[in-house]
Amino acid sequence: MALRTILLSLILMLLAPHAAADLVVVANPKSGIERLSQDEVINIYLGRYRRLASGITAEPVDLAGDVEQKARFYRRLVGKTQAEINAYWARLIFSGRTRPPQVAENVEAALDYVAARPGALAYVERAQVDKRVRIVFEMGE
Amino acid sequence: MYRKTGMTTLLLAALSCGNTWATQPDEISSLSVRGFGTLGVARSSSDHAEFARDFSQPKGIKGGQWSGRIDSILGLQANWQATSQLELVGQLVSRYRYDESRDPEVMWAFAKWEPDARVALRAGRIGADFMMLADSRLVGYSSLTVRPPTDFFGPLFFSHFDGADASLTWPLGKGLVRGKLFGGTISEKTPLALELWDTSGASTRGLVLDYLTGPWQLRASTAYVGYSNDIQYARRLADLLRGTAVPSASIAADALKVAGTTTRYDTLGVVYDAGPLQVQAMLNSIRHEAGYLHNSHAGYLLAGYRLGTVTPYAGVSWWKSKLKSPSTGLADPDLNDAFDFVMGTTVADQTTYTLGARWSLCRNTAIKLQWDAIRGSAASKLPFVRSQPDWNGRTNVISAVVDFIF
Repeated sequence: MALRTILLSLILMLLAPHAAADLVVVANPKSGIERLSQDEVINIYLGRYRRLASGITAEPVDLAGDVEQKARFYRRLVGKTQAEINAYWARLIFSGRTRPPQVAENVEAALDYVAARPGALAYVERAQVDKRVRIVFEMGE
Repeated sequence: MYRKTGMTTLLLAALSCGNTWATQPDEISSLSVRGFGTLGVARSSSDHAEFARDFSQPKGIKGGQWSGRIDSILGLQANWQATSQLELVGQLVSRYRYDESRDPEVMWAFAKWEPDARVALRAGRIGADFMMLADSRLVGYSSLTVRPPTDFFGPLFFSHFDGADASLTWPLGKGLVRGKLFGGTISEKTPLALELWDTSGASTRGLVLDYLTGPWQLRASTAYVGYSNDIQYARRLADLLRGTAVPSASIAADALKVAGTTTRYDTLGVVYDAGPLQVQAMLNSIRHEAGYLHNSHAGYLLAGYRLGTVTPYAGVSWWKSKLKSPSTGLADPDLNDAFDFVMGTTVADQTTYTLGARWSLCRNTAIKLQWDAIRGSAASKLPFVRSQPDWNGRTNVISAVVDFIF
């Protein structure tokens, strides 16, 4: 019994900081979608296809600058560094192909944007999610 | 002096890693102005032919001399998002061009209408979708290598056309299918072998199909170019051949006619891009109606793997002509020699081995070093400028560039 308690405590200790740093993608509750697959999130954020299953046009939101949360999002989503994502957008922008995501100055602004627009999506820490938005994709640790 | 000061200022700006690259527009109905550039030097070891980046360049590099001529580029682009569905795009580029100047050219000037996330229509001056990852071959920062593989992209003599394209994207299985139709007229000049070829009035049309799933992108495309102008030196020779009134010489003269003929350009390609690994491969087939232009096939395989901020890469590319062999049937050695010489100017027969590394210095600047070993036959004259009789088809090109966006 004592061993079980110790093991459980250890597992919780290991999981706790990770759970707090969990990245999730959130959408507006009026988006008409419950879940997104990783491929769908990639297609939306990389500008390949921005139509949600509900027919609404997706409007992804990025965080401004080179913040750690943004770097972690792209690293986990497609395994790319910020420099590679920059090069990717340079390729598309200077070809006049597609628009990069909208930019929010910080997480609060991103959540405000998602709460205000049915097609908007943002990536935030799980702990930052509020009642105005719905989690549609969990990136895990 | 002015040029040197300007280049130095640009280089310092690039290396300062300023945080000015606005990757994203802030709001709908916004104007954004961005730029890109490359400052580069390169040297080619052979004395007997000049290495050029593509067909647009009237002079290349040779004799082991370092030169900033072929790769240095500066571009400026304005995007105006007029409404959520309508965007206007204009791009000016200064590069070494057909008239040996660096006068700015309007590379893009188009309106894009996206009535739906699945549909995009563009009209104006737009880029042809020849590369798998971009419409522009000039934005060095966005690509792995110093320049697109010359064996594959070198013969594409035009960078843009005036016309329209329509693309449609739809989900299929776990991936996406993207189809694009394009068409328009070409208005560029290209230095070809002996003089400038004005391709104005030529037309192009084509279809591109992509399938994107996870890290994979698969591509098949076909394009036609229809010419309205002859190549003048070939035409003058054709007139001389017709003047002999010998039937076989008239047939040879017809082979030198380019106006009214078409070229068909087919490609297959694949990209695998997952985390630090990027692999690209493309194959093409170029078939000309004109007897003077030899058909060819080309391909490239390129792979890079990111280690920290440095991405070493290696590649191989090739370009081989399938020779057409018309003959004049004349006894006149001068005319025969001239005919054989002109036919010989459009032959490609070479393989290029590439090694290099891209160092991401900061979020808007990359430094690249590259070595290309070109191993071809003495007949491989088309990829080069002013090849001499003792050209043996072999040269080594070393390049060092700073690519930046702002």
